This record gives sequence, C-alpha cells and structure tokens, in this order.
Amino acid sequence: MSTHSTWRRYARRPDWFTLALALGGLLLLYYVAPLASLFLSAPPGAVAASLGDATVVDAATTSILAATLSTLLGTAFGLPLAYWLARADTRWTDAVLAAVVLPLVLPPTVGGVVLLTVVGPNTLLGGAAATAGVPLTRSLAGVVLAQTFVASPFVVVTAKAAFEGVDRTLEHASRSLGKGRLTTARRVTLPLAGPGILAGVTLAFARAMGEFGATMMLAYYPRTMPVQIWVSFISLGLDAAYPVAIVLVVVSVLALLVLDTVASNPWR
Amino acid sequence: MTGLRLDGVTKRYAGFELGPVDLAVADEVLAVLGPSGCGKTTLLSLVAGLARPDAGTVTLDGRALDGRPPEDRGVGLVFQDGALFPHLTARENVAYAATEDRVDDIAATLEIRDLLDRRPPALSGGERQRVALARTLAADPAALLLDEPLSSLDAPIRRRLRDELHDLFGALDVPVVYVTHDQRSATVLGDRVAVLRDGAVEQVGTPDAVLERPESEFVARFTGCENVFEATVVERGVRVDGVVLPVETTRPIGAGVTACVRPSRVRLDPAGADAGLVGTVRRRLNEGDDYRVVVDLGGPELVATVPLRTGRGLAPGDRVGASLDDVHLL
Repeated sequence: MSTHSTWRRYARRPDWFTLALALGGLLLLYYVAPLASLFLSAPPGAVAASLGDATVVDAATTSILAATLSTLLGTAFGLPLAYWLARADTRWTDAVLAAVVLPLVLPPTVGGVVLLTVVGPNTLLGGAAATAGVPLTRSLAGVVLAQTFVASPFVVVTAKAAFEGVDRTLEHASRSLGKGRLTTARRVTLPLAGPGILAGVTLAFARAMGEFGATMMLAYYPRTMPVQIWVSFISLGLDAAYPVAIVLVVVSVLALLVLDTVASNPWR
Repeated sequence: MTGLRLDGVTKRYAGFELGPVDLAVADEVLAVLGPSGCGKTTLLSLVAGLARPDAGTVTLDGRALDGRPPEDRGVGLVFQDGALFPHLTARENVAYAATEDRVDDIAATLEIRDLLDRRPPALSGGERQRVALARTLAADPAALLLDEPLSSLDAPIRRRLRDELHDLFGALDVPVVYVTHDQRSATVLGDRVAVLRDGAVEQVGTPDAVLERPESEFVARFTGCENVFEATVVERGVRVDGVVLPVETTRPIGAGVTACVRPSRVRLDPAGADAGLVGTVRRRLNEGDDYRVVVDLGGPELVATVPLRTGRGLAPGDRVGASLDDVHLL
C-alpha cells in the first residue's frame, strides 16, 4: 500500500502549462505562417516592380492621404469627446459611450449603408454637397467619411481611458495655481495622457488604412489600397493582389512598432 | 476686511451634509481638526472652488468668491500627497505658476535647492511636500489651504516638517487653513483650532482652550482626553461609580455632569497609597517617552501618562495613589 502511494507521488504529472502553450502555439502558427507565406509568394523583384505601377501608387496615395485626414478629423473631434466622457459627472456617459462604440461592432458594410442614407447622392445633405461641387460619394471626401466613421471610435475609447488615468487632483492643483481649464489641459492632462492618446491615434490610422467595407459602399473610386487589392484579385487573380497586400502588412507592423515604443499599447 | 470668511456654507452629498459652517480666519492659522469623513477636505474644496456649496458665501479679503472658478480665487491648496506634476521636474513644478527668480527665493526658504532637477518619483515623501508647498507659495496666494500635508510621512520627518511649518506660517501674512486629524499638528500649528464633527463645527478656540476646556465629550475625547466619566456632583467633588473625584464646582449637589481628565493630568504615587484616590495597576505600557498606566479605582478605570521613572517602579497588581491636577466638567 505504502509502495503504491510512493509510486504515485513520484509519477510524472501531466504538465498543463506546457500543454496550454502547445495548444496556443497552433493558433500562433495560424497567425504567423500565412504572413510568412505571403512574403515568400511574391518575389521581392516583382513586388518592387509593381510598387512603381500607377494603380498601386494611386491607391497608396489615396489611402495615406485619406487615412491621414480621417485620423486628424477623428482626433480633432474625438479628443474633446473623450475628455468629456472621462470627466463628466452624469449618467449620460454610458449612453454616449455606447453610441461611440457602435461603429466598432457594426459590420463595416452596414456602416456604409447607414452612411449612404445621410450622405448618398439622393439625400438632402449628399445632394446639396454634390451640387456645391463636393460630392460625398465616389470621392476622396467619401473615403474620408467612411474611414472616420469606422476608425475614430478608436481615438475616443483609447483616449478616454488615457484621460481617466490622469489623476484629477493634478488638474485641481493646476487650477488652484491659477491656470484655467485650457492651460491645465495643455500643460498637465494632455502630456500625461499623451502615450495613451498616441495609441488611439495609431490604432485609428491603422484601422483607416485597412478600411474596406464602408469605403466600398461610399467610394469605390478613388480606390484605396484595400479596394485595389480586391479589384486586382477579382480581375487579375491572387498574384496581382500580393504587392499592395504586402504594403499594408508593412504599415500594420509599423503601427504595432509605434504602439510598443512611444505609445502605450492598450493591449499590453 | 481682510481674511477669509465662511458664512453659512453648506454642502450636501448622498448620505452626508457639511455645515452650515461659519468661520472667520484673519491673518492667522486656523487648524481644522476632525476624524476622517467629517467633511474637512470638502470644506477646503468649497473654499478652493473645486466644489460648489449648496448655500452660503465664501469671502476673501472682502471679495466674494462664490461662482468663481478655482483659478480665479487666489487660494493656494497643498494636497495630502503633494499632487506634484509627475512629468515635470521639481523646478518646473515650482515655476508652474511663478517667475524664475521667485522660484529661487522660495527654494532657498524651503531648503529644496538641491532637489530642483529631480522629478517627483525620485523625491521622498517629505521632499515632495516641501516642493508642493513651494509650488503653492510661489503662486503668491491670498489664502493658503493645506489638506493633511503631513499625514503620509514617517514620524521623525513629520515632526521636523511640522516644526518648520510653524515657523513658516509665522512669517506668512495670509490666512492659513490647516486641515488634520492629528491633534498634535492642530495644536502645534493652529493659532486657533476648529473641531469638526459630522460636518458641523463643534468648537472653535485657542489650542489651550480646546485642550483644557472642551465643550463636548467628542471634543474632549478627540483631543486626547481619555478619561471621560458620567458623574454626579457631591460635596467636595463628583462621584463616579462610588468613587469621589475631588473637584471644585459651583454646580448644585446631585446634578449629573460629565467629568474629563487628561491622562497627563493624572499623577501616580506608589508611596502615597493613602492619599485621596487609591487604585490597582491593571496595565503598564511603555510608550517610549512615558508610560501609559491603567489604574482600577474600584469602579472607574483611570488612564494615566506618567514619567519613565514613576512608570518603571510600577507593575500590574500594585497599589498606587492617584491625584488629579485638573478635572474638567461638562
């Protein structure tokens, strides 16, 4: 009997921690392998050559320009909203936050449909804008509108958390030292929330660069990189989609780099 | 009129009400003493403009502060843990609302010149509070409020900084409100002490008045008077549980009173067991500079603070004589 229990005590127990890593490792492989495969599928020479291609250059220009504009828009309007959400003392904040998060959970094509009911060519606003020479669909403005809708919530949600991380007492200290709300925000709150805000801005930019669903609905032209990938794939086949896809992968990796260095990565 | 005035200041939160508070602080130090949750910090917030009173007015040097934002009041506030801006150096903190030459002056006064290039995380608790005080003073406030600035410091540093604050306040010519839950800080620093209880001012007076003539059992207990007895006036004293404490009073015989005796006003005499009060030592606790001795008088228990020499000679079970230097009746 005693021999038996001694034997049991020294028996190798299953190592659950290693098993967890093994299971998770499969998923990890599923993330990384296709990326590696993508780079292997496209010979560097071919990618470099196609990067000079006019359609690729145009798509990259449109994407970068539109994503920059929509990120600026989202930041200019998103930071004040984030600050209000972080500091307001009303029960309305929950409802407002829900409205902010809605574009994040809404399927992007549905987002596009929703936007078209407001800015589409046959709507009051869209029609008036088109008459004034600023069409809100099939234009750079359309791309920016679609991207802002889908990407700006990242700024609001991430910056809200960053503002909440700034001790209110510090703002009180600044105020009682004779500095008004604006000076206090500029010299105390913004610098302290800076890394978090930068994270939100980076996430919004990355999301805007990759935006496809809503953009397709609002502005098939001018083509952004994701739209160009889809067009190349449909008309010329997979090989034609590689170069732009690689460019977008590089942009995503750069965004991660920013998150892990100067910004505060909200997922770490 | 100069100074800070609060007239009927009231603030209600869910489950808590402060005031109405009426206080006048001239160019002096008013120590506001009370337990945590009594409304001390709320009181400061109302004066600093960080919260709005539901009623009442706050006046500083004759001008009403009501409705003015914090930055427009000329009221400096030193926070419990300093609230230094962590992204700025000590120098940048002090210079936040001041000119550079003023920074140097104040840094010299508060002995923080060597710390100016450091950031707040690299400062000790005491150093942080010096820098916080310098930052507030550099802004040249017309009134100075301090919210328990010493409460998170270790005892030796707390005492040293407290004594320095005493000298510094003496050199200031603005009203100072110093909020604390520590009776010693209040009586060391306050020209007057206001005892706050459950949002209401229970007593205001000089430190001596509050310590020696408390007007309520709460004030007595909170300022360190541990021996509080329900008593009846008899000839030559008051009777507590069959024991007569000698005290002169004009109150009628038979009247019910509350008798207060500070532990430091009790003298114990091992040799004088035949003098007036006699009791048995129950406990003897070494508090470092003196002994705390609990004596059973055969009914009431008496707490005494006695010198080391007296305390060393005592042990539980010993018979001792007790004499009371000061019995205060409520």
